[in-house]
Amino acid sequence: MISYIGKRLLAIIPIFIFATLLSFIMINLSPVDPAEAYLTAANIRLTEEVLAEVRHEFGLDQPLYVQYVQSLIKMCRFDFGTSYVTKEPVWQEVAHRLPATLQLSFSSLFLVILISVPIGFLSAVYKNSVFDHFSRLLAFLGASIPQFWLGYLLIFFLSVKLDLFPVQGRGTWLHLVLPSFTLALGLIAVYTRLLRTSILEQMQEPYVLYARTRGIKEKIIMGKHILKIAISPMITGLGMNMGKLFAGTIIVEEVFSWPGFGRYFIEAIFNRDIPVIQCYVFLVACIFIVCNLIVDLLQMVIDPRISRKGSISP
Amino acid sequence: MFVSRGKTLVIFLLVLSTALMGCSAQNNAQKSGAESAEKEKTITVSWPRDVGPMNPHVYNPSQLIAQSMVYEPLVSYKEGGKLVPHLAESWTISQDGKEYTFKLRQDVKFSDGTAFNAAVVKKNFDAILKNRKNHSWLGFINFVDKTEEVDEYTFKMTLTQVYYPTLQELSVVRPVRFLGEAGFPDDGDTSKGVKVSVGTGPWMLSDYKKDESAEFTRNPNYWGDKPKVNKIIIKIIPDGETRVLAFEKKELDLIYGEGVISMDAFKQLKASGKYETSLSEPIATRELVMNTTNDILADIKVRLALHHGFNKQAMVDGVTGGLEEKADNILSKNLPYTNFEVKPLEYDVEKAKAYLEEAGWTLPAGKSIREKNGKAFELELLYEKTDQVQKPMAETLQSEWGAIGVKLNITGLDISTNIKRLRAAEFDLYFWSNYGSPYDPHSFINVTSEKGFGISESLSSLPMKQELDQQVREALLSTDESKRQQLYSSILNTLQEQASFLPISYIKKTAVYQKDVEGFIFPANRDENPFLGLDRLE
Repeated sequence: MISYIGKRLLAIIPIFIFATLLSFIMINLSPVDPAEAYLTAANIRLTEEVLAEVRHEFGLDQPLYVQYVQSLIKMCRFDFGTSYVTKEPVWQEVAHRLPATLQLSFSSLFLVILISVPIGFLSAVYKNSVFDHFSRLLAFLGASIPQFWLGYLLIFFLSVKLDLFPVQGRGTWLHLVLPSFTLALGLIAVYTRLLRTSILEQMQEPYVLYARTRGIKEKIIMGKHILKIAISPMITGLGMNMGKLFAGTIIVEEVFSWPGFGRYFIEAIFNRDIPVIQCYVFLVACIFIVCNLIVDLLQMVIDPRISRKGSISP
Repeated sequence: MFVSRGKTLVIFLLVLSTALMGCSAQNNAQKSGAESAEKEKTITVSWPRDVGPMNPHVYNPSQLIAQSMVYEPLVSYKEGGKLVPHLAESWTISQDGKEYTFKLRQDVKFSDGTAFNAAVVKKNFDAILKNRKNHSWLGFINFVDKTEEVDEYTFKMTLTQVYYPTLQELSVVRPVRFLGEAGFPDDGDTSKGVKVSVGTGPWMLSDYKKDESAEFTRNPNYWGDKPKVNKIIIKIIPDGETRVLAFEKKELDLIYGEGVISMDAFKQLKASGKYETSLSEPIATRELVMNTTNDILADIKVRLALHHGFNKQAMVDGVTGGLEEKADNILSKNLPYTNFEVKPLEYDVEKAKAYLEEAGWTLPAGKSIREKNGKAFELELLYEKTDQVQKPMAETLQSEWGAIGVKLNITGLDISTNIKRLRAAEFDLYFWSNYGSPYDPHSFINVTSEKGFGISESLSSLPMKQELDQQVREALLSTDESKRQQLYSSILNTLQEQASFLPISYIKKTAVYQKDVEGFIFPANRDENPFLGLDRLE
């Protein structure tokens, strides 16, 4: 197990280099010079002299590979430089906004589990019942409604018309409900169906028949044996989607005026604030990598056969 | 199996109803909080971005609206370009037009109780001039030779050359506003930040949550008429639709600004009759700049044909729904030196076609695009891709000019790339608007002459460009009011006649507010806040 973790940790290095390199290339493919963007945003009159000065200050006058290597070295020290716009250290700016984004991401994750596990489970148990059709409808809706549109609908009906929740901002748990649900619905749709399918597959397995013949109660077979195995793909998916959930907060934060990192990132893109963009890519890459690792470890705990055989089929 | 289905359902409903009751209870609590806030006379407004570091001497990300609440100018800009005393009670300008001596008000204190005097004015000027290059867009900054504290309440500024818009430029919201002594960093360099936001304005920042809200309360030491409400809360709501929904739910009392809500939303709120809506005087002119260095657009007949070749009134009404007004003047008449009539170049397709024929652009048989010497009449119009007005206008022009045999390619760009193309004069046609009050008309004529902004470059093929440049220089240096008026008239008339600017519409600010809010007036200065006169009915 330790050697497995070691291997996985080593694999982080090339992934991380690839992600940062890709973002660096994409930023530099843009026709807009960050120094120009900064001067425009700061209302400073553009002259060749001023431009050269700012390019030097930002280190943009150095060869691209030097810029990349330097930023990579700094990133490893968790030094993301200073924002071109606010002139504050990027890490400080991010640290201020990160808790809000993480709060939103984790509450959405909680909602995904809270809603999709019982619905997926019950729709498998009561296959082709009214409840199953309802869950199918929910899945269709969740998969097809764009996040921003869902956000507006929820605000309009639950907040403006029924006066149940605040329209925007962060503060009480009530502020958290609508943005979390907006962010979660797409994943709820996916995992409800995933769990249902997985349970139905497991119900056909010989070990279920064997358990029944042994006279084990249906509740125990479903809850202890089938669900435990069937939930495995869902955990893998959730782990993979945790990064997506984090990145997906951008739209939700905009619609609900949630003071998180996503909004800050959007402004950074418009301002070509490279240090902020790089920091965001770094964080998202880290979250993807770490979540995948955690998921793999969890899988091993749930089903030790993975580490032994590399297979999860019973 | 799972016989307790009924029981589960009951529990689920119980949990749900408890949660919803909880929500309602919380919301009622919030409402009663809002009601008590109303008794304290609070006005809640929205703004798309965080108010920023509240430093009077820096730009982005500081927001003008918040800076103007806390910091004040020496001179104030009022309707029609009238300049009135503010922190300076009077001023004199020397015969040679280079020395400005300001007598400061003696009853002014900063919000922390410290005195406003010539020493602190000088200290602010020194901090601004230390970073002169950051402020070089403001003409007079480039000409400041020295500043002096003549006595406790007299401040003198000497310029290296005459520059008539100096007083007008002193009325802008930043950077020439005054920070109290306590706000200065130890080295006095405010470009690196301020310790606290201490100003002389009617408001002071009392609570601040980054990216969430900023709360301003009345400055107890304010020298002027006290604001009628106790508190202004600025909520940061980046999304326009959310702003409207928050307003409908009465979480906001006022939505104010330029393009802060969609035109559809404004019309819908107005039509509902439940709210007050208001449109400002023109704050700028939306226009197309035609690049005369382009072979096709170098010909005045072509430019005139494009003016006549589309139904401007229909386009402005259709796209803006009446929120903007059809424009014929390059600069709106409510700016200084601009109040004169021009002969509108009305919609006349036949006239447009005749101009094109005269210019040698003929329509070959069986073709829909005009040609001259085998070259097709093809132009590119740049627009900002996120702008909700420019794109439909570009599409309308594409269609209407298509009918007179002009192929218009429209290209949507992000704002940075768009500005870059403008500055490099790499465009045929460009959506542009002037700066508005208190920056115009002098900033406008300056960019028609000064290189680096893209406008002067695009006008460089005009036959009288050198003469125009000379007139601009004379106007900016003139100390004779009547001569200056004459020069402005000449410059603007020439530009109108040359048709290199195509005025489309006058842009206006919008305001939507609840019925119990009164005293709303748009400030004459485009960047000032409208909060001082606001009140709310009991």
